[in-house]
Amino acid sequence: MNRIEIHYFAVLRERAGTGRETVETVAATAADLYEELAARHDFGLPRGMLRVAVNDEFAEWSQPLAAGDRVVFIPPVAGG
Amino acid sequence: MQAFFFSSAPLEPERYHAAIEDPAAGGYASFEGWVRDHNEGRTVERLEYEAFESLAIKEGERIVAEAIAKFGVTRAACVHRTGSLAIGDLAVWVGVSSAHRGEAFAACRYIIDEVKHRVPIWKKEHYTDGDSGWVNCERCAAAAHDHEHEHSHPHEHPHAHATGDFASHGHEHAGAAQHDYSRQIALPEVGRAGQAKLAAAAVLVVGAGGLGVPVLQYLAAAGIGRVGIVDGDVIEASNLHRQPLYGLADVGRPKAAVAAERLRALNRDLRIETHETKATADNIDALVKNYDLVVECTDNFRAKFLVSDAVVRALKPAVFASVHQYEGQVQVYRPLPHWPCLRCLWPEAPRDGMVGNCAEAGVLGPVPATLGAMQAMAVLKRLLGLDAGEAPALVTVDLLSFETRRLIARRNPGCDHDHPGVPAQVAGTPAPLELEFETLAEAFESGLELVDIRETWERMHDPPGLQIPTHLPLSALVNGYLQFPTEGRYLIVCAHGVRSLSVTEQLRAQGLDEVYSLRGGLAALRS
Repeated sequence: MNRIEIHYFAVLRERAGTGRETVETVAATAADLYEELAARHDFGLPRGMLRVAVNDEFAEWSQPLAAGDRVVFIPPVAGG
Repeated sequence: MQAFFFSSAPLEPERYHAAIEDPAAGGYASFEGWVRDHNEGRTVERLEYEAFESLAIKEGERIVAEAIAKFGVTRAACVHRTGSLAIGDLAVWVGVSSAHRGEAFAACRYIIDEVKHRVPIWKKEHYTDGDSGWVNCERCAAAAHDHEHEHSHPHEHPHAHATGDFASHGHEHAGAAQHDYSRQIALPEVGRAGQAKLAAAAVLVVGAGGLGVPVLQYLAAAGIGRVGIVDGDVIEASNLHRQPLYGLADVGRPKAAVAAERLRALNRDLRIETHETKATADNIDALVKNYDLVVECTDNFRAKFLVSDAVVRALKPAVFASVHQYEGQVQVYRPLPHWPCLRCLWPEAPRDGMVGNCAEAGVLGPVPATLGAMQAMAVLKRLLGLDAGEAPALVTVDLLSFETRRLIARRNPGCDHDHPGVPAQVAGTPAPLELEFETLAEAFESGLELVDIRETWERMHDPPGLQIPTHLPLSALVNGYLQFPTEGRYLIVCAHGVRSLSVTEQLRAQGLDEVYSLRGGLAALRS
């Protein structure tokens, strides 16, 4: 189990009801983690539409996760 | 001798001159500013200089140190008079000794220019008609009508202003106030040179809504020379809470036209061009072409990707932003090989309607205002060259927690948009012969191999950090002693970009497609 700090933006924040949470997870990659959280929070957005950043750097979905990582899920935003 | 000081007694140039002599110096340049008998059509009898000395000396010493470091001169100093001066008296003296004359002249010019606008010195002119006035204070009060308290306490100005008026100075007293950029010129990174860069710039703002309003206001106020506004919408009452440039009386009028009206009232130096239309695939290239930089301020993905594709094609920098309820994102695009475009970040271009815009999701006015102000800041940084070392990133801003996050972004090699960075090519158009870089580091990061074609003797004075490993002197290429490789991707470099351009043209003719010339050569790079 890894302890991961998660930040949500925009529509994900609305769905999750919070901008930030810390989870204990067995998810091995950023993709696994998103699927796990999408199921829990009922995120409607497919992963392909989002970007993920691990420790303040944009990452591939296949990026392995380590304990203490900070993972940010970012949907595209259009308002202006 | 101190690098900068004040004297209430007449200046003694011979003594200062002797103090900066140096056996290593091959030359000496000096500037003297004298009190002249007229200013703006009025006959001047005598002058008084007053300085905020403790502050002024520090700033003056800093300027001299900057000049020595910047131009590599041997010694430099500046002395300024205070007190009462008669016509013809020496008001300021600058002297520089240096190994070579070019640096001496440049350093001398730098010192007097910087002293004039950074050191807090005030000048009181006494006219033949018995009148008198604090010149810089009046100038300030005339321009900054919102600072009337300063007018009545001219001696307490906390800011640096132009000093004694040695050159002709032409601010108008008649008519409306002039725009006054002194507060931004006072920044050492801006200065008059920076202000001139802003005045020479042309910026296109796409969208004059929640983001566009602060962008337009701050760019116009900062003195950007030419601003284009693209917006095909009319003002609606529901816009006003986040677009307070407009008022109730404007509802129903075209945004671009009303914005232009307001900005002209803000700054008459500005040239404003309105494009009362939506950005479309048919007009975007023609619009982008006429500007140096594009600010994307629309509220829909269609327009955002349209602008991104257009700036990639045109090799122009752009600043993007979007907001959603209490959050926003800012992204700067620069036409450099390793910089991501919007499609690099969002390979699956989202469709409008999938995530909400302001109309659907709601927004508080200060959210786009903050993000728009950040966009304006990004534009000024780009135009002033203050962002040279910045890595490409998406910056997220959360206005509920006031948290910002800078997420490092890279170019996506699989970006389906043809986005090779060097250079962005449009099918059917030839690749540019020249590429522009600000620093050698940026050029090295371009993915092109740098080839220095200068002669060996020209490389001898290069600082150690600026050596280009691959060296093929032009003379050896011309004589056939060395040959240029027949494949690879190269950036040809010489001193001023003339020889490298001709070599590049020749290599292209020989079928080497991915070879470019560094525009302006090493001389055009910032150190």
